[in-house]
Amino acid sequence: MGLLTDPSAGQSKIIKILMKYYSKFCIILYLGGIIAFCMLAYRPFNAETYFSENALLPGLVRSEYRDGSTPHVYYRELLDEMEKYESKIPYSWLLAKFKQLGLDTYTHNFTLNYPLGKSQKFTGKNVYGILRAARAASTESVVLSVPYRPPLSIHQTTAPAIAIMLAFAKFANKEKYWAKDIIFLVTEHEQLGMQAWLEAYHGISGGKRGTLNAGDMRGRAGAIQAAINLELHSIEIGEIDIKIEGLNGQLPNLDLFNLATRMCAKEGVSHTFKNRIPRRYTDPVKDWKYTFQTMLSMVATQATGIPNGNHGLFYRFGIQALTLEGFANSKDKLGFITIGRILEGTFRSLNNLLERFHQSFFFYLLASSDRYVSIGLYIPTIAALAATLFIKAYAKWCLLHDEEENSENKDALNKTLIDESGDHNPITRDSFTLQQWEEKLKSDTTDLNQKPKVHLGHICSVFVIAHLVGFGLKELPTYFAKIGVQFGYTTESSIYIGLALSTALIILVPIFIKKPSYSSMIVLDIFALLEMGNLLICVAMYNISLAMFCGAVYIPFALLLSPTRCRLCSIIQKICWILLHPFVLATITVFAYTFFVFWNELVDQILFKALSATQQAIMFSIVDSMVYGNWLFSVACTIMTSNWICFWYMCQYRPTIEEVTRKTEVSKQKVD
Amino acid sequence: MKSHLFIYGLAIFVRVFLIYSDYREDIADRIEISTPLNSFNRILESYYRMSIGVDPYSSDVLHESPLHLHFYKHLIENTGQYLPLVFVFCDVLTAYLLYLFAKKYIFHLRIEQYVNMNLYLKHLKDQMLKVTDNEAIPLYVTVMYLFNPYIIFNCVACTTTTFLNLCLATFLYGICSGSVIIGSVSLAIATLQSLYPVILISALYLSILKYQKSMLKAVMSVVLCISLLAVFIFSSYCLMKSWNFIPQTYGFILQVSDQQPNIGIYWYFFMEMFEHFKELFIYSYQINVTILYFIPLTIKFRKDPILLGVCFIMLTGIFKSYPSIGDFGFSLALLPVMKYMYNCMQQIFVSIVAIITTTTLAPILWNLWIYWGSANANFFFGTTLAFITAHIFILTDVSFAHSKHDYLLKYGNDRTINGQPAKLVLG
Repeated sequence: MGLLTDPSAGQSKIIKILMKYYSKFCIILYLGGIIAFCMLAYRPFNAETYFSENALLPGLVRSEYRDGSTPHVYYRELLDEMEKYESKIPYSWLLAKFKQLGLDTYTHNFTLNYPLGKSQKFTGKNVYGILRAARAASTESVVLSVPYRPPLSIHQTTAPAIAIMLAFAKFANKEKYWAKDIIFLVTEHEQLGMQAWLEAYHGISGGKRGTLNAGDMRGRAGAIQAAINLELHSIEIGEIDIKIEGLNGQLPNLDLFNLATRMCAKEGVSHTFKNRIPRRYTDPVKDWKYTFQTMLSMVATQATGIPNGNHGLFYRFGIQALTLEGFANSKDKLGFITIGRILEGTFRSLNNLLERFHQSFFFYLLASSDRYVSIGLYIPTIAALAATLFIKAYAKWCLLHDEEENSENKDALNKTLIDESGDHNPITRDSFTLQQWEEKLKSDTTDLNQKPKVHLGHICSVFVIAHLVGFGLKELPTYFAKIGVQFGYTTESSIYIGLALSTALIILVPIFIKKPSYSSMIVLDIFALLEMGNLLICVAMYNISLAMFCGAVYIPFALLLSPTRCRLCSIIQKICWILLHPFVLATITVFAYTFFVFWNELVDQILFKALSATQQAIMFSIVDSMVYGNWLFSVACTIMTSNWICFWYMCQYRPTIEEVTRKTEVSKQKVD
Repeated sequence: MKSHLFIYGLAIFVRVFLIYSDYREDIADRIEISTPLNSFNRILESYYRMSIGVDPYSSDVLHESPLHLHFYKHLIENTGQYLPLVFVFCDVLTAYLLYLFAKKYIFHLRIEQYVNMNLYLKHLKDQMLKVTDNEAIPLYVTVMYLFNPYIIFNCVACTTTTFLNLCLATFLYGICSGSVIIGSVSLAIATLQSLYPVILISALYLSILKYQKSMLKAVMSVVLCISLLAVFIFSSYCLMKSWNFIPQTYGFILQVSDQQPNIGIYWYFFMEMFEHFKELFIYSYQINVTILYFIPLTIKFRKDPILLGVCFIMLTGIFKSYPSIGDFGFSLALLPVMKYMYNCMQQIFVSIVAIITTTTLAPILWNLWIYWGSANANFFFGTTLAFITAHIFILTDVSFAHSKHDYLLKYGNDRTINGQPAKLVLG
């Protein structure tokens, strides 16, 4: 209760110490946070994965799947069928096969009204069959999905996955122990088909209304508990990669991931996470380096907020899902039987579930497929980063307050003393009527009319306008695309040019706006710092990787920023902040990445590639936000850019000499 | 005058814009804004039930008094599609009443300062209220009310908290100007609506006593308030021809029977609790809100009944069984009148930052809990707990700063007894 009732009127000791050393605190917290985050991959700081949900009973039954020839038959038939349709899903064949197996079979049509540029429509078709459980009334289900890829697709084929899915369906249909329906789903157009199917299944829309027309479906199978997305690129599998990163950086329950690794291990398939086998070195540095690279690669994928497989779209609907991606390699050659047994084991475990996945972790980072870092360990690192911003804001607040007090005290000493009439004839409330009081107080000469030094109205309007600009920026690309297309540009380049022009405008306009006093700038600084700190904390709840990335990049500059009279410092500051504009930053990142990947090509070719990659990246993030409800673009526009405008506005302020000297005086007094 | 017009115009524009935008539905559905007690959808539903001849209190939909329901009925029937504009009007009226209240209050404070001036230390006279504060502080209050996001959302969602806020603002204005009629009538209406304002009765008594200098009038105001309340309740009975509404309104408030999550803390406690402990905890919680602080605070602030009223409004906002952000917005808007003792408030910055952070985190964790299924109730409860705690810190700060400020002006900044550093204790 000491915190609540400590009555000291001035500043307490802790605050004085904080004020004195806050910059050092900030540096320590920032570096400490980053180092601690990196150290999370070190073996003693993370933990081994374990099963928390004991209803799963993983791997306790003897596998019965041993049919190796049926999938081969399906595979050959499918290849023949695929030759007939070069870019479409062979739905009649799939329908026939599902029906032949005795499943409830349905198709699902969807339409995409392309949201940018010319109004275009794309259609697609999903096929799914439902195996009705023998022991329950279709109240719960699990999904096995495969994205269908036609021969013309740029991605690797998934035909073997469809073959084994059909064979597994045939096997499963004969068994008596199913308590949950199994939905076998083949989707078209990669994630679009999956999203449309999920939206139609649940009857809601995740993105902008009217963009993805998911339609309705005729057959359902109760609440979906879990989903496995299968992608096999070869009929002989060497290793299986387990993918988990989903939309907006969400992850599946760790138990499901554990289940998948356990099943792979049981069947003797080498399983990887981020294409890296769990490895253990005796040398701790080497060991850390290996696990850290794995973790970093997960962080990089998660930070984009884009799902790296069809599993990522299930999370929005509260369904746990992951992708098993099988690759051929030269070492092992495991056939369909092994995959079938993995599926059998996984689905029988899921079949045992008594309630939704709720135990274990939803928020974690993986350092390898058998080591995890829980939320309790990584949150302190991002909290340390965000704390630097709050500490600086608090220090500025105290500084501002002191400055006011100082000047007031000075004024008080210089001023002739107040009239002492009250000393001799004690006045009471009743000495005058209210009207008399009013006049008396109005003519009260003890007051002095000080000019308000903080132009709060001005600062608030800058803050609000910055956010309105951010909102505008979020809505504008649709119009850029419409206008650009009329002048014959492609959608992506017209959006890019439009955004580049608006960025230039955003950079230029604050230079010419009048700026109020130094104290007002401190107030704006406090606002901006608090907003950035809040943003980091909020983003960290969804997507720790993105928050960590933003924090690591922006915090040093936000901490160092202060209006200065030194011309060189000011120019360096301005250049840094221009580079930090979210749009410029995105461009730089993609350019750097392109150079890194295609370093051995000609420079002009790389530049061309980088430019088109940037344009596409920006366009896809807009489309993603409209179709899937990915919020990366919206947040970058409405909050990050607005926040950036506030900082940029502060960069432009050049304090007068008086203000600088007064500032040093105040801080000197602090130190004394 | 120009700036006032601009402020009111902008505030009305923002509200009307949001009401007629697509966001209105989403705002009205948020559990932080609409509770079972103040949701306007429930009023519409009950209005319909009443119009087809079903007793609106026969189900678990309506928890407002019959008089209020009839008032809403008239509103719905007479305003039609312009109904949301009534809420905007009430909000603006509340802001204006708060402006008048702040002006009066600052005036009284300055009189007190003038009277006690010879007791104060000379070099600290700058910490006192100045002539500029006469205009500035009421303006801050208006702005804090009109542009408070909590209040804007509350108004856009058309919750009945808007009317409660109007009543409370009228009450504050009434007691500040020493008006028996305004004070007691508005208090009776507020109590009829949400029960908890009943503890403001001590503020009413003390302020009439202070500003009217007449014991008789003070007692009269209390009697008038109670008898009005009795009349209201009896006429409710006459309207409904049964006492059905009592358990559905006051019983509902006191028993916390609806555990839909909200920004407060009751829902979680009563959700987690074993059924047979519930009664004990309901008693202790309700005593906490009403009786526990009633007497000590009344004695402590007997010389400043307005501050007492403000503290009670904050207190009930924090601890009421179904709080919404409209209640918190109202108490936050009253903070600028405490500007004079700002120096003595210690955690104000930390509290405000905590409020901002929890306000932004709460919807995110709600989304993760309800839609994505990855977070759980504890995450959301954690933020509401921090939110409430921050408000408690502000309340403690305000009540303590009052004594501290007085001491500071009289004895100065350094506190030493015989050369040893001394510590102030709230007594």
